[in-house]
Formats: sequence, structure tokens, C-alpha cells
Amino acid sequence: MAQHLTEKDVRRIAEYARIGLTDEELVQMTVDLNNVIDTLKPITEFDLEGVEPTFHPIGDLSNVMREDVEVAGFSQKVALSNAPKQMDGCFLIPSILGEGGDR
Amino acid sequence: MASFATMDVASIQAGLKAGEFSAREVAEDALARVEAADKQVHAFLEVTPELALAAADKVDAARAAGTLDACGPLAGVPVAFKDNMNLAGTHTTCASRMLENYVSPYTATCVQRVLDAGALPLGKLNMDEFAFGSSTETSAFGTTGNPWDLSRVPGGSSGGSAAAVAAGMCTVTLGSDTGGSIRQPGCFCGVVAVKPTYGVVSRYGVVAFGSSLDQVGPFARTVRDAALTMNALAGRDPLDCTSQHVTCDFTANLDKGVDGMRIGVVPEFMNARGLQPEVKAKIEEVVAKLEGMGARIEEVALPNVHAAISAYYVLGPCEAFSNLARFDSVRYGYCDPGHKDLGGQYEASRSRGFGPEARRRIMLGSYLLSSGVYDKYYYPAQQVRTLITRDYAQAYEKVDCILAPAAPRTAFKFGEISEPAEMYLSDMYTISINIAGNGGMNMPVGLGAQSGLPVGAQLIGPAFKDENMLRVAAALETVYGAAPVAPDFAPAKAGE
Amino acid sequence: MKKLEEVLEDWEAVIGLEIHAELTTLETKMFCGCKLEFGAPPNTHTCPVCLGLPGALPVPNKAAIESIVLAGLATNCDIEKHSMFYRKNYMYPDMAKNFQTTQGPIAFCMRGHLDLDVDGAAAKERYRLDDLAVGETEDNITRTEDGYVAHVGITRIHMEEDAGKMVHVGGGEGRIAGATHSMVDYNRAGTPLIELVTEPDLRTPEEARLFMQKLRQIYLAIGISDCSMEEGSLRCDGNVSLRKRGAKGLGTKTELKNMNSFKNLHDGLTYEICRQAEVLEEGGIIYQETRHWDPSVKRTIVMRVKETADDYRLFPEPDLAPYDLSDAFIEGVRAKLPELPDQKAKRFAADFGLSAYDARHLVENLDVAAFFEEAMAAAGADALTLAKPIANLMINDVSAYLNAHVDESLGNLALTPARAVELTKLTAADAISSKQAKEVFAAVLEEDKDPGVIVDERGMKQVSDTGAIEAVVDQVIAANPDEVARYKEGNEKLIGFFVGQCMKQMRGQGNPKVINQLLAEKLSQA
Repeated sequence: MAQHLTEKDVRRIAEYARIGLTDEELVQMTVDLNNVIDTLKPITEFDLEGVEPTFHPIGDLSNVMREDVEVAGFSQKVALSNAPKQMDGCFLIPSILGEGGDR
Repeated sequence: MASFATMDVASIQAGLKAGEFSAREVAEDALARVEAADKQVHAFLEVTPELALAAADKVDAARAAGTLDACGPLAGVPVAFKDNMNLAGTHTTCASRMLENYVSPYTATCVQRVLDAGALPLGKLNMDEFAFGSSTETSAFGTTGNPWDLSRVPGGSSGGSAAAVAAGMCTVTLGSDTGGSIRQPGCFCGVVAVKPTYGVVSRYGVVAFGSSLDQVGPFARTVRDAALTMNALAGRDPLDCTSQHVTCDFTANLDKGVDGMRIGVVPEFMNARGLQPEVKAKIEEVVAKLEGMGARIEEVALPNVHAAISAYYVLGPCEAFSNLARFDSVRYGYCDPGHKDLGGQYEASRSRGFGPEARRRIMLGSYLLSSGVYDKYYYPAQQVRTLITRDYAQAYEKVDCILAPAAPRTAFKFGEISEPAEMYLSDMYTISINIAGNGGMNMPVGLGAQSGLPVGAQLIGPAFKDENMLRVAAALETVYGAAPVAPDFAPAKAGE
Repeated sequence: MKKLEEVLEDWEAVIGLEIHAELTTLETKMFCGCKLEFGAPPNTHTCPVCLGLPGALPVPNKAAIESIVLAGLATNCDIEKHSMFYRKNYMYPDMAKNFQTTQGPIAFCMRGHLDLDVDGAAAKERYRLDDLAVGETEDNITRTEDGYVAHVGITRIHMEEDAGKMVHVGGGEGRIAGATHSMVDYNRAGTPLIELVTEPDLRTPEEARLFMQKLRQIYLAIGISDCSMEEGSLRCDGNVSLRKRGAKGLGTKTELKNMNSFKNLHDGLTYEICRQAEVLEEGGIIYQETRHWDPSVKRTIVMRVKETADDYRLFPEPDLAPYDLSDAFIEGVRAKLPELPDQKAKRFAADFGLSAYDARHLVENLDVAAFFEEAMAAAGADALTLAKPIANLMINDVSAYLNAHVDESLGNLALTPARAVELTKLTAADAISSKQAKEVFAAVLEEDKDPGVIVDERGMKQVSDTGAIEAVVDQVIAANPDEVARYKEGNEKLIGFFVGQCMKQMRGQGNPKVINQLLAEKLSQA
């Protein structure tokens, strides 16, 4: 198995993806990810010079749009119906700071 | 008396029309079957008797008013939906702790279309968590048994959808297929299972895994039932930009046979390492039967398809990473209690709300999209997709449909495969079709000589010609018969 | 800290702007049919799409795409026929999907530019402008009579969506720092947003301010946004770095946020330029960081240090079909392009003989320009003679009035184009003095009457009759022999005294031109 990622790398990826990992989970995740990345090798072995990517497997479909017409949405009650926490018609979250400032 | 739920659509509708039974009786019988059989199978995550009975009463009211025909092509048919499909007022859990308490405030287009066709919704079906898996073992709410052998997996990720039909609990179910998640469980459970061409069925309201790969399709025990459901499902949805106009009648070609059709066989598929001999033998038998019915068999090459699994494990996780970012404990979903800062709440909620496979895919996607790595894997994977699409397009210049195994083996036992990379190989025959975007389906072709378990032939059609594969499947059905309810759950044996 | 002009002696400021405009004139959001409305109760304009519910999919608003193409055409951009939406992935609670749908390397609008007329006081910030002769070009500027024209490149304008709004509670003054909780409202989430990015072609805070003003005028003229900086529908971030005069490379830049008015934009950039100069001159290092302009303390404050380049894991949005805009679509939008402020100013100058300065100021406000045109139509044959006085009335009196009465608008004033014509006609015909004209203007607004009626009611007719004035002049000269003597000794300033005396006698109704002329004649003969 090639070492594509170190535990430190995996820790950083987890932070970006906002997945909390214990130290043991980190070890296992590093092994798993390196294993999977090994299997991606064929992708790197193609001669792809001049090959256009297919980001959308939808043939010639393009310019799909809607008219600027209002459609009824949710009431505030329905909008908040699955909210873990709410206050005054808003979704409520704990303090944002300590997690990277503005964005 | 046979259970209504084991009838096909035409028999149910004939009975309703003739006044032999009411839709309410169908619903009650189906719910009773679910009650009895699901204790063993555990295909359902939620049963919705009120919705089923209300829908049945509507059909019965129409029957009384003489307007049954206006109820739609699935009037009175017991159905159920994979639990990644929103149905307003029901839970949509994606078999994840993350969404354990989530109640949908809206309904997916595919669900709505089936309901509009008059179907009776029995409930929501088990699956691999967020559709990440091939065995339904990653469900946070317990495994689903394969009705043919309850010690074995039903396949996945739409394991509940396949098992519910195989156990005769539903006439039709819906599943979703990102890399084989309709066809492979269809194969393991021995039912007809259709993944249409990408864009034929709206994805609106179906919780996304891989947005450029996901497609919704039906499970049924007859090809005609699947085709009827396709008629209800297919077509442009203004709420899904990638859905397309579809005008064909999917049942139109079912009786035409395969005489004169050109059917492709792919040597790379038939000679692949890991293909079980009993499966290979069955597929060779199918080739012979088709030839016997007048089809011309041609070898076709798909030279780049070997890279499909790699491309899939780049594209799928990248899209999943982004699609699953919304599960953040703010608007809905699991919220780990007691955190004073949002960062801590995010990480704990996502760590505890998602299971290990979901976490792995999110992590993998996050890595593969990061700068520098994107150019090494993601971009080339999209180029490889072009090559694979081209391979199929070239093949379809020679043939009308391709025949392949649906899975390299029959259903395996719970826990038999634990390595993620090994599990990924069970989709080796299905993944390339999602990469290219064309349609594919599983057609049950009897039982494996060694295992005695269902074996599936995969029929792969050109893009937007899904009627081709249905036509071949219907021809095979004349040889192999309609998919049976698994013996342990067949009505007679169940003592009804 | 040194003053800006001192700093700019030694340092060249390199400024680029990122300007976000919400397309507030549309009915609905970017990717769903929810209504666009500012100030609605929280979370009442939401749906599965803009709440980011599992399974929801976006569908772009065609009118938003038309709007951005219109913006591109109005700012001299190339319209890219082939472009895509991308997902910009980062988790932040005001963004329901935790990715922002935006555009990738190719935006709908690329490679545009605007030319800024910088003159008067605004031109003084430019370093050594006087080294250039009129008509001479250096870097991106061309010297003009009273300033210069700056050619400012526009890198791109791309389409994206706005985030929701957050209210921070438990801290001081709704600040995020110190808050124990935040409340999230997704009404704004998904509002169509266009982001214009300039080339780093701006060199002074005035240029930045003028660019922003000009862009605002254009967006208002094409009607794509209400451009309210107070309500945040027009927002501006600035990138600033310094380099030694004569140096070619670029220094480390800081990103400046919260410049939510033209004054804040100017003051924030000025402060940041001076701050950077001070740090550099003391041998310090500028860190690549995001800074927040706090107008209450007149300082920029660090919000975040960027240690590495942002990695937003951008990839093409698979849920949205790519764009392949047809010529017909683009030409259809072009047909909707109204006359732009620059074109209007040129036309005003050419048709009505206005100076470039007057014409430019007239078109700064769409309503003012329309008023002026109506007045010109009403003036008929007198249009050419009245153009300048009406322009002055609009630029000076009307603007001053509206600035002092922010709750009033031009449309609500009792001054109509016809009344403006009447008023300026009275002055031009010497029926009233320019001083009286100011009184009549105020009275029109106050009493909602025609200027002629007010002049009659108040008996304000200006006396231009030479005979009548001559009598008064003779009287004043006779009554003030001492002053006449001093005048004749060379104290010519005393002419003002004589004019004042004549005016006093005529109760302010004498034509000052005639009085001046007669006084000069008579005094020289006296």
C-alpha cells in the first residue's frame, strides 16, 4: 500500500469536512483512505491529451432555466419544523467564533 | 386466496374493475403481509397504513363513480419507496442516525408521480446509509434479510426495495442507483430492477449521493409492471434541470421478441476475474436462449470500461462530500447536545450522525477535490467518463442491447465481505453504466447451479432507448417466467 | 500616521474591488421560486431549495441570467456563451447547502472596462498628475483639462447566490465576537447576486469611490438592482497593496470589508493605505489578511489571517445544465439595454450645449436626468438657452434640497419640469434676479404654485428699465459724495456699496446687471 496520506493530512481533511475523529479513528481512516486511493490508480494511467471531460452526462442539454415567477414556499412553522434549536422564527446555533473568523 | 400483493398490476386492476375486491382490501392485505413478513426480512423502516388506506379509499371512490381508469396506471397497486425519497409527512432517514427524526416537509417528484398514478404507499424501505454500500449492511437501523436466504444480504444499496418485492410485500417499489444500487440488489433478490438512462426520471426530492450518477427506477416481479411504472415515472420535471423530455411508451415493445435484434456480449466482462462460474454459466445459457429466439449475438469491445470503478470512486465521493455537507445540525438532522461553539457541534454531530462508510466517502471526496489533487484524479476521471461513454456509443453502432452479468456472484452472507475495496467490486458490472449515463436493468434468469440463489442478467441499452432492454427482458421472461416470490414467502407456503 | 498625499509621494497604492450586487428588481430567488423581499419576518420566504433540504435541486432564474448579461454588456464585457455553475464548498451556517453555487474560471461576463472621469478635488489624489500634458497618456490614465480619465479593467462578472442573514446574540452590539448564540434567517439565502471583480487598476481611494459610483449608476440605469448600500444590496470589498514608486511587482495585499457607503469606501481605503505605509516604513511586514473597516473608530481591524490560499474545492455543479447562450439570447438582452449614463451625458452635451461636467452630474441620478429631458421638451424653442440654467438648478438647488430632505424624492416635489422652465425663463428674461430666483424656488416647493404666480403675488418683478434705474443711480451718487470721492481715488471695491444702496432703494427688484453698468458709467463721469 502506498502512503498517499499521512495521519496529519487526514486530520486536516477531517477538519475541512467537519468530521470529528478520535485518535483511533484517525489511524483506521488513514489506512482505509490509503487503500481506496490505491485503487484509483487506473485513472492516473490514461493518456487523456485532448479528451474533453464530461461533467454533465446529459448530452446536448443546456440553458435549462425557469421563468421569474413566484412559487409558494414554506410557512415559518414548516421551515423550522425539523430545526434542532430555534428562537424567534430563526434557526439557533451556538457561538460561531473560534472556528475561523469570517469564512 | 392468493395475496393481492403477490399479484401483478394487471391482475390487481382487472380484479378492481370486475368488482372482485376493493382497493382497501388490497391495501389491508398488503399491510398484513408486511406485518407478518417484515418481522423476518426487515425491509421497511416505516410503514404508512394511513397513507395506504387513504389512497385506497380514493381508488375505491373512483371505482364507485365509474372513473377507475382516470386513477392512473398503478391504481390500487401496493408500493413502497427507498428511504432516501421524500414523502411529505413521513420520515426520510436515508438509514442514517443523522436523519433519524427528520420528517419530510415535501414530496419527491418520483414519489408524487407514482402516487398520482393511483398507487398505495405502504411505507419507506431500508437501504445502505445514504446509499453508500452494496449490501444494506451499513444501515443504521439494522440489516435487511435476503428473502431467498435470510442469512444473506439482499444486496444494496436499495436492499429494502428489492427484498420487499422478492418477499411479496409490494408489487412495485422504487430504488435509486448510483453505481448499481438498483440492479445488484435486484440480482441478489431475483427481481426485475431497472435503472433508466440518466435524466429519464426526475431526481427532485431524492436525497442525493452522486448527483451526476444517481437515477431512480422500479423493482417489480414482471417486466410489464416495471415498464408500467417507468411510464408513470419518466419525463421532464421542471424541478430537475437534468431531467429530459421522454415520450416513449415503455410497454410498447414488450411483445415484439428479440428476433432480428443485435445483442452484444463483452469479452472483458465475461472473462473478468471474480466472475463466479455459476453466474458465467447462466449468462452463457441466456446467450444461447436469445440466439435461439432469433437474436444475433455480437462481441463488442469496451476498452476503457476497466477504469470505470476507479472513476466511480473518484466522482461518487466528490459529489457525496459536497451533497452531504448540508447535514450540519443547523436546519435539521442530528445535533449533538451541549456544545457552546458551532465548530464543536458540527464535528460531533457529523461524526456521530454519520456511520463509518459515510464518513469515509466524505473524507475521500474532500481530499480528492482539494487543490492539486483535483487535477490528478477528479478532472481525469471526468475525461475517462468521456472515453467510457464513447465506448458504449460505439458499441451501440453494432448492437441494440448489451448482455452482461448484473453482479459477479450471487448474494453473500452477512459480514462475509468486510474490506471496503472488496465490497466495491460487487458493482464491477454496473458502475460503468452510471458513468456513461445510459440505462441498465437486472433480469432474473433462474437460480445458480451451485448456490441455488437468484442469478441476474444485466441488459444494458443505449441512452434514451430503455425500451430496447425492456424488450429483451420481456423475451427472457417468456423463457424464465416472471420473477417468483421467494419460496419461504410465497403465499401458499406462508400458509395464507 | 502620515497623510494620504504624503504616503502617495513614496508609495503607489494598487487597489482592486470586488463588488456584489443583489438583483433586487427580480421577483424570485436565483434557484427557486421564493419571493425576494427585504425585511419580511424570518424564514417566511423559504422552500426545500433555499433551505438546502435533502433532495432539493436548483433551477436557475432566467431573468437573473438576462440581468447579468445586461450588466456585462453595460460594462463593455465579452459575453461568454459557454459557461457553467460550480460549487464552492465550505461550511458556514448562513449557507444552507454548505456550498455556494457560483461560477468557475469562465463567468458569463469577462474582460470589461469602465472609463472614469476624475476631476476637481478627486483628481488631486493622483500622484504627479501635473507632469502630464492634456491629452497625454501614462499607464491607464489620460490627462484632461480639469483632471484625467482612468481606464479601469473589469476581470469578470459572475453569477452566484447570496447567503442567509445572521443575528448574533449575547455579545455586544450584535457582534459575532463575544456572542453566545446566533440566529439564522434564510429569507435572503439564494438571492441572485452578481459579483464584479476589477483588475488592480485603481490607484487612489477617489478612483475607487468613483468606480463604485459609476457602476451604481449603470446598474440603476439598467434596472437590475436597487443598489442600496444601507440594506446591503450593493456591497464592496477592496484589495489593497503598496509598492514603492517605480517598482513593478505587487506587494502583499489585504482584503478590506464592511465599506458600506461611498464615504466608508474612501475612508477605509485611505486608512488602509496609510496603515500599510506606516508598517512598511517601520520595517514591518504586511500579512495577507482580511480586515474590517470600523467607521466608529476610523480604523481597519484584522478579521482573519490567511496562512494559505483558500481551498474551496470548486467543481462543476452537476445538478445544473451548462450554458450555451445563443446569439439570439444575447442580442435579445442587448435590445433591452437602455441609454447608459455616459451616452446620456454625451447626448446632453451635444444636444443642449452643456459642459461635460454639467452633463455628467445631470446623469448621475436617473430621475434628475429624466426631469431635465422633460424640462428641455417643455422649453421648446428656448431649450438651448435654458439648458445651462436648468442644469444648474438641478445640480445645485434641487440636489441640495434633496440631500437635506432625504425622505423626499424628485417625483414628489412641487417643482415640475414645466415650473423649472418657467422659473429659469423668468431669470433669463431678467424678470427676476438670480437671488429672487432662489426665493421663488423655495416658494414653489413650499406653496406648490407656479413661479409666475409667486412672482406676481410677492410683487417681485425685477426692474430692468434703464430710465427707472438711472433715477435711482443718480440719487445714490448724489447722496454719497464721500464715497464717490474715495471711489474716484481708486477704491473700486466701493462699487459694491453703491449697488447695495441702489438695491435697497429698489427693494431688491433692480436688475443688478443694469445697475452695475449704469453705476460704472455715472461714477466715471461724476
